[in-house]
Amino acid sequence: MSAVVSSQSPRLSHGGLIDRQRTLSFDFDGVKYTGYGGDTLASALLANGVKLVGRSFKYHRPRGILTAGSDEPNALVELRTGARREPNTRATVAELFDGLRARSQNRWPSLTFDVGAINSLFSPILVAGFYYKTFMWPAAFWEKLYEPLIRRAAGLGRASEAEDPDSYEKAHAFCDVLIVGGGAAGLAAALSAGRSGARVILCDEDFMLGGRLNGDRREIDGGSGVEWVRRTVAELESFSEVRVMRRTTVFGVYDGNTFGAVERVSDHLRVPQPHQPRQRLWKIVAKRVVLATGAIERPIVFGGNDRPGVMMASAARTYLNRYGVLVGRRPVVFTASDDGWSTAFDLAEAGAAVQAVVDTRSHVPASILTTAKKAGINTLLGAQIIGTRGGNELTGVNVQRHDGGFERIKADVLCMSGGWNPNIALSTHLGSRPRWNDGLSLFLPGELKGAIAAGAAGGSFSLAAALREGAAAGAEAVQATGFQTSPWLLPEVDDEPTGVTPCWYVAASKGKAFIDFQNDVTRDDVALAAREGFSSVEHLKRYTTLGMGTDQGRTSNINGLAILASVTGRSIPEVGTTVFRPPYTPVSFGALVGHHRAAEFRPTRLTSSYYWAADAGATFVEAGQWLRAQWFAKRDETDWLQTVVREVKSVRSSVGMCDVSTLGKIDIQGRDAATFLDRVYINLFSTLPVGKTRYGIMLREDGFVMDDGTTAHIAPGHYVMSTTTANAGKVMQHLEHARQVIWPDLDVQIVSVTEQWSQYAVAGPNSRRVLEKLLEGALDISNEAFPYLACAEFSWRGLPVRLFRVSFSGELAYELAVPARYGEAVIRALMNAGKEWDIVAYGTEALGVMRIEKGHVAGNELNGMTTAADLGMGRMMSTKKDFIGRVLAGRPGLVDPNRPTLVGVKPIDRTRRLCAGAHFLSLGAKVALSNDQGYVTSVAFSPMLGHWIGLGLLARGQQRIGERVRAYDPLRGGETEVEVVSPVFFDPEGSRLKG
Amino acid sequence: MTKLQTERAPLLDREFESSELMPLAPFIDLPLIPSVGRGVVVHDRDGLGIASVLVRRGQSDAFARQVKQQFGIELTAGSRRACAGDIAFIATGPGSWFATSEGAANVFAASLAEAIGECAAISDQSDGQAVLRVSGPKVREALCKLVPIDLHARAFRIGDVAVTVAAHIGATVWRLDDDAHGNAVFEIAVYRSLADSLWTALSESAAEFGFKVNGRP
Repeated sequence: MSAVVSSQSPRLSHGGLIDRQRTLSFDFDGVKYTGYGGDTLASALLANGVKLVGRSFKYHRPRGILTAGSDEPNALVELRTGARREPNTRATVAELFDGLRARSQNRWPSLTFDVGAINSLFSPILVAGFYYKTFMWPAAFWEKLYEPLIRRAAGLGRASEAEDPDSYEKAHAFCDVLIVGGGAAGLAAALSAGRSGARVILCDEDFMLGGRLNGDRREIDGGSGVEWVRRTVAELESFSEVRVMRRTTVFGVYDGNTFGAVERVSDHLRVPQPHQPRQRLWKIVAKRVVLATGAIERPIVFGGNDRPGVMMASAARTYLNRYGVLVGRRPVVFTASDDGWSTAFDLAEAGAAVQAVVDTRSHVPASILTTAKKAGINTLLGAQIIGTRGGNELTGVNVQRHDGGFERIKADVLCMSGGWNPNIALSTHLGSRPRWNDGLSLFLPGELKGAIAAGAAGGSFSLAAALREGAAAGAEAVQATGFQTSPWLLPEVDDEPTGVTPCWYVAASKGKAFIDFQNDVTRDDVALAAREGFSSVEHLKRYTTLGMGTDQGRTSNINGLAILASVTGRSIPEVGTTVFRPPYTPVSFGALVGHHRAAEFRPTRLTSSYYWAADAGATFVEAGQWLRAQWFAKRDETDWLQTVVREVKSVRSSVGMCDVSTLGKIDIQGRDAATFLDRVYINLFSTLPVGKTRYGIMLREDGFVMDDGTTAHIAPGHYVMSTTTANAGKVMQHLEHARQVIWPDLDVQIVSVTEQWSQYAVAGPNSRRVLEKLLEGALDISNEAFPYLACAEFSWRGLPVRLFRVSFSGELAYELAVPARYGEAVIRALMNAGKEWDIVAYGTEALGVMRIEKGHVAGNELNGMTTAADLGMGRMMSTKKDFIGRVLAGRPGLVDPNRPTLVGVKPIDRTRRLCAGAHFLSLGAKVALSNDQGYVTSVAFSPMLGHWIGLGLLARGQQRIGERVRAYDPLRGGETEVEVVSPVFFDPEGSRLKG
Repeated sequence: MTKLQTERAPLLDREFESSELMPLAPFIDLPLIPSVGRGVVVHDRDGLGIASVLVRRGQSDAFARQVKQQFGIELTAGSRRACAGDIAFIATGPGSWFATSEGAANVFAASLAEAIGECAAISDQSDGQAVLRVSGPKVREALCKLVPIDLHARAFRIGDVAVTVAAHIGATVWRLDDDAHGNAVFEIAVYRSLADSLWTALSESAAEFGFKVNGRP
């Protein structure tokens, strides 16, 4: 690749792993450019000579592209437009696609002229912790003025705020060995593991496997590194049990060998393919893991190190070798490592006029110097860069030589290399502390359970070591899961020097020396924090925001704590390090949510009459996961209350039908079933004969009411319990606990049959006639043969069906249960049979109105804070037996005669509406919590009484029938004077249900 | 929520004859996302007789003997499905099974109770459980988006059963014999009321592989 620079374009005419046949057009800040297949947005911008890509967070300083990977702190851009617009995306990992529209952030009115840059003038007051100490006075200004201003000034990208048009999904994967990272070490590990036949998953965040092998010119087995990668991946993909996942970031490690990963299925496409999600969240459970996560190159901290044109040396090499982009024609390399020199050599060979290599070390390997000499590169050893020149782009650097003399060198790019830090983020997710290695001057992964770090992630930086350690780690991991491996011949590779002597800070430099580029944390900020007492690394992080950006301080953490160590006179291990938390890189909420959004946020339960009800004009209401018909409006009805009044009147005057399938139904069988029921209900069930149903109340252990319902003795030793819709699951758990844990000696079997039966309430004076017509003599349901609370199981039209004579409405009523697959057919048959009596379908609202008219309690009263006595059913509590909750129901607080108890209330002014939630106050009492007498639990407009009525819990309520109190509701209607009455408003004698 | 309402073909034209009660299969008429291929194929298992079977206290051995004698089925420990002829026992917990019988629907529970006698409590669940058979060359790729368990051939063998969740829906999953093409075959049982939600989740997950209903184009 020599002297291919033919024009002024940074893009070379050949070379790199891009597809020059595939031209992609895109725009950045409204300017049109082109790139090639295989480009990232960053490489394409650099190829077009764009160096300024963003403004920094706090000072709005011009920033360029620093890295070529997911560690990028600077080049955060907005991608796409409209509903797909996403802010804060790293241009270095955004795969270019045709038509991509990108926009810089944090600048106004434009990137090159940014008003916010004036912040730099105020930088003395924008130092570390400035928001804790600068905007303090006057105090009232903080919330109204300072905070909104700071927040607006600090905002980076803009969210689209429109509904995301793409879908996301979640998936689960399992494997023997998970390999994180598809560079040399990861690929070698995958070969070892995959060849054994074990289940292997290899994840790499890049769209092209190979890691540094794509950015470096290396030789493996006499061919190029890239060629080896291709061969290896092809072999891996030929194994049926190996899954190679590109564009997949393992972002978190969780308990139970579980890993979170996000696969960017369609981020590189303008619009996802049909039925493809935008991203897919993977939960991977792996028996063993190999961390081949590589290393991150450290910047060098010196004044002006953030000027666009200053770039990591490895990034410059990647742009050259992978993307065919020469990032500068007059580069200078500033290095503290051997690795930095290879950038100089690659750039020189590609035709750049390398101006100098400035190495902070006095001694470098002779082989390097020989190569440099051959290439005619000016070498300055023991020297430092003490400043950069230029505006929005670098024009030159100032060097202090080892002899103390100064040099000004013209340069269009400065490549810096402070050495490499193992990428240990994942190793710390479960709390393992990194270990400092003095010889290498870096943190290595701490103790890892079930995980092995290989290659650069473990501090071994040569390619030979990466291959060797990777292969060994893959073999070790897979053997630990019970597979046999056979050793394989490691490829031969050229050797490279990997020496480094860290240079944490160039003290002689002038100007702002940035540690954390994303959060604008400088060397002076760290020194200031230490002076102010924030010398613990955890305090430093929070006070200065060092490492708290979206890059989690990938490029800045080590430099930050090394500088903290030096200003506080401690060693780096004494200072310690912060650890990383998931996610490794930002994860979109869409991926975490998957398909479960909007109506699919949670599953929906539909009764078998759902579609019939929908056709019949039902409006549905959510009751837990269920959708229940709330009312069935007729075409000419304009108001829900009008509909509900009609439904109630129809039921009370003739007949109505309501789907009650959602109520819990529990089959209880066994020799000791009756004993079991006696122990879970407060009242006696062992006396219940076959063919009869009884109302029961069950308490929690703490003595409060848990649920109510009826239980039918349907056949000898066989009971069917009904629960409320809301408590169906809870009651089932409660009974299972009682059966399995409390009384394992009882012979009782319980199973939910809620879903087996579609159950319809038929209520009203004509309900018997309708059922007689429907059942055609299958069962004698005359009042004598089938009185109130009777139940029966019988065969009707070849179906096993059940009939219960129970009533929630207070009317003559039945509940008919049929196998659910016949539910829709039966509801139609029922409505047909009832035509003669103008049967109506009624919903939960009418059901609620009628139960309030009858003073029946429901969820509003069974609220977990009421006792049986509170609800007027204290006398149901049997004294002849023990039952769950009996002892604690006798606590002084629960038998206090002043407790609020169930009453009915009517507005004195009958035209007034009542509101549930209104609190009771005595007449004339001051509005104060201490005067609170209870509250209204349920209200309804009673069609039978012609005015609003309510149920409530009123202190000593039973003794206050006839008294007047106030229902006080400051939120809605002020207050209403009400009369305390019996909770049974309608047919208090109960004559209708016996009819 | 109204989405569910509009997606299914209106049922008004399904005229009801007063002399006949037409059963309705749980997955019938649910909307099919147009997709290419047959990577995942489902069968509605409506009509399968299903009964929950709970062994009476102290009757485990007697029950196992009875099952062996009546159906020739050897019940094995653990979460396994054992079958002979049209009858299968699917273990769902200690002393707890779903028994199934091909095509027997509601008739099954009663006849099973008669056959087993007093050593177990039997309840009809033929309508309470909606069962979908899922197969096709991409069946695992689709199901891994719903089910959080390992369905790999080595981890979830033929006859294995799991009580788990599918897209937040409580589900029982078991693996049948592979089909004629060597593809794995699973059955998923959920509460009937959740059939629509399961269908939505499965069809969205399987669409990329081609999602088809057996017998429908």
